[in-house]
Amino acid sequence: MARMKLEDLRRKREELKARSKETNYIKVGMSTCGLAAGAQETYDIFKEEIERLGLDIKLKKCGCLGMCFAEPLVEVALEGLPTVIYGKVDVATAHRIVDEHICSKRIVNDHVYELHIKE
Amino acid sequence: MLKPFEKIVFIKDTNAVKADLTRHYAGIFSKYVRPLIEDRKVFVVQAADLGIYGEGLVIKIWPNNIYYANVKEEDIAEIVERSIVGDEVVDRLAFSPDAKQVRVVLRNCGVIDPEEIDEYLARDGYAAVEKVLSSMSPEDVIEELKKSGLRGRGGGGFPTWMKWNFARNVQSDQKYIICNADEGDPGAYMDRSVLEGDPHSVIEGMIVGGYAIGASKGYFYIRAEYPLAIERVQRAIDQAYEYGLLGEDILGSGFSFDLEIRLGAGAFVCGEETALIASIEGKRGTPRPRPPYPSIKGLWGKPTVINNVETLANVPVILSRGGDWFSTIGTETSKGTKVFALTGKVRNSGLIEVPMGTTLREIVMKVGGGVVGGKKIKAVQTGGPSGGVIPENLLDTPVDYENLRRLGSIMGSGGMIVMNEEDCMVDIAKFYLKFCVDESCGKCAPCRIGGYQLLGLLEKITMGEGEEEDLEKISLICQAMQKASLCGLGQTAPNPVISTMRYFREEYEEHVKEKMCRSGKCKRLIRYEIIQEKCVRCGMCYINCPVEAITGSKAKGFVIQQDKCVKCGKCYEVCKFGAILIGSKEPVEHRI
Amino acid sequence: MAKQLTEDQLKELVESVVDRWGGRPDALIMMLHAIQDEFGYIPRRVSLYLSQKTGIPLAQIYEVITFYHLFRTSPPGKHKISVCMGTACYLKGAPQIVEKLKEILEIKEGESTPDGLFQLETVRCLGCCGLAPVVMIDDKVYGKVNPEKIMDILAQYTKEQDSK
Repeated sequence: MARMKLEDLRRKREELKARSKETNYIKVGMSTCGLAAGAQETYDIFKEEIERLGLDIKLKKCGCLGMCFAEPLVEVALEGLPTVIYGKVDVATAHRIVDEHICSKRIVNDHVYELHIKE
Repeated sequence: MLKPFEKIVFIKDTNAVKADLTRHYAGIFSKYVRPLIEDRKVFVVQAADLGIYGEGLVIKIWPNNIYYANVKEEDIAEIVERSIVGDEVVDRLAFSPDAKQVRVVLRNCGVIDPEEIDEYLARDGYAAVEKVLSSMSPEDVIEELKKSGLRGRGGGGFPTWMKWNFARNVQSDQKYIICNADEGDPGAYMDRSVLEGDPHSVIEGMIVGGYAIGASKGYFYIRAEYPLAIERVQRAIDQAYEYGLLGEDILGSGFSFDLEIRLGAGAFVCGEETALIASIEGKRGTPRPRPPYPSIKGLWGKPTVINNVETLANVPVILSRGGDWFSTIGTETSKGTKVFALTGKVRNSGLIEVPMGTTLREIVMKVGGGVVGGKKIKAVQTGGPSGGVIPENLLDTPVDYENLRRLGSIMGSGGMIVMNEEDCMVDIAKFYLKFCVDESCGKCAPCRIGGYQLLGLLEKITMGEGEEEDLEKISLICQAMQKASLCGLGQTAPNPVISTMRYFREEYEEHVKEKMCRSGKCKRLIRYEIIQEKCVRCGMCYINCPVEAITGSKAKGFVIQQDKCVKCGKCYEVCKFGAILIGSKEPVEHRI
Repeated sequence: MAKQLTEDQLKELVESVVDRWGGRPDALIMMLHAIQDEFGYIPRRVSLYLSQKTGIPLAQIYEVITFYHLFRTSPPGKHKISVCMGTACYLKGAPQIVEKLKEILEIKEGESTPDGLFQLETVRCLGCCGLAPVVMIDDKVYGKVNPEKIMDILAQYTKEQDSK
């Protein structure tokens, strides 16, 4: 990517905005607190499972979601289901999310955390 | 391909403190809708947390986003009939969750991948740089900041536009802008989270600041204890260079700005402006007297603006959305939001962002979900080692710079620690003071010697050797430190002591006069006893006591010999039957 | 971790660090970080050589090393145990964890065990207050630790050592 001029930046941003409205992703909070709670292991499980099952889902990383008490945190957005934030996603829960949420379109019990936030 | 459910019902018992009835209610609900579940018309989920507290049984229905609160078992049939089978709302149970949190600084944290500049761009990233460089003069930028009312988030609360304006008005061939990310307060991690979650917003704020004051060079001063933050900021800087957002002739505007990281090395005092500058210059981080202020004479004697991470992260939003918009959030004197690291004895510890003017009680109860185990809240500490405690009866105070100062605390950088009955206020004061004593650079006597003497007195009191005149001495030393110390560290170090003395003087007096610690924290002031009614004579305490202070036998029962007991707490730890009592007061007849 | 280097290797390393920062006195702290990353501490002969290369007086280098808590002048243990003493951790029992560690390792804070396996430090807030109390061993963070759990954690490291 070459150094941009003002108009390049504007154009690039519009392109990116148009592209960014995708669903079908799993996003893992991977800041220090998340990693301390085991987010890397959780991330790896999703990575393996997505490859193994050939799922059409994008795996992403993000920073702190704010609910440190419930780390590791994972956001799952899948078409036809509400976007949910799962907390305390250890290895076993990660497997459950893949089996139940992704494959059977059922939300997993006891791990949904909701935040009420205005932007 | 499986058909998705038409409706999803989230259920949570929001009164749950010890016994959570969520499962029970979900069972009842499921019974009513069983046939519908089989048809994949509805699915019932037991939620772990709906962000709503103390509102009884809460039910949320997707996709209509209907919320019901304080639902009773007998209401469930009606909800199923009207809102699940039908699409109506049961008005008498409807509830609108009030979003206490507003995300300005954390707008991208947890949303974007911090390692991808494109994701930041897609969320209107670098729109402020674009706007500023194409259509605003440096004076316009400062004017916009003035309109916004943004004040420094590092603790002092100095208006950001004024700082920038001072530096702007000094003639100099070179000026600098520094991002202070030497977040050292125990219990605060807002800056780390922002740098790890959204580094570009801080970089953008620095570019705007550099343009406004006329600086061509900026430094990130990050503490070395944050390796991930350093890595992500470095990556973000590299990406910004690659895109032409840093370096020579940014976006073809003619403005040039370079950015570099400098690491701290574990010295708390380096959060102080002049000490930070010394550290960037490669020297010992000792402060120097002010004035001259860094805005006039800073890094290498040049005008330098030092802003905190959170302050800088606010800047891009203010420029893109306008100072007027920003000033609608918050109170008369404190605009915008504040990020807090809410920790301690709170149920949901975490990173939160609320508008200025939210009360402490709302923060603890509504955002944090109340105190752990439903215990009684005793106080909230803000401002870390430079701040103070705010007792329970003053928790309805709206949070802003002036209010907190009036209560003897400070906004500080954003640590907020909830304390309950188990916390001893003398011990807390000692903890914070110990921190400042350890971190004193030793340059000026009031801080170096005063802190040490003060700590000695507090230790004496918590050891049960305090005398009444000690309390008077404490007040005197505190005053001397506040008035005569060279920098902020020494001036504010006695704050935790002063504020705990102000609100919890009776605890100090108990320690001194009655040799008692009501919370059981001060080991020398407590005594362990065996509750004979609960004791099953298993002998675990007897076996584990390291000093053989427990005598007796399985046949006769056991007793703790107080004169031998060293209060190590081992017996309490090993007793499985809760038969060891921690008494905080020594019976009079046992006193020497 | 601590390395044994020949005099030539050592000089080469110092030179590469000095080159990277242009030997500027203002980059002293950055150069010391780079050196400590390599050796685990800042050996005296390295300081001496650094002084010769950059012209920064040795006294000034030591002034800086001894001021900042993170710089060490003696070799560290193989595994660094850092117990967080931030407010949240303190309230949730970090002092008891330190006591336990002192008891089982038979060392004080800032010291290494005689076999060089562990080094015990108490540190300022690690920024994981939500998981308090927190202990970091090398770069791995363990959350919600208690005196029993810390025993299990240490056992992993001693076992790993024994199996070598």
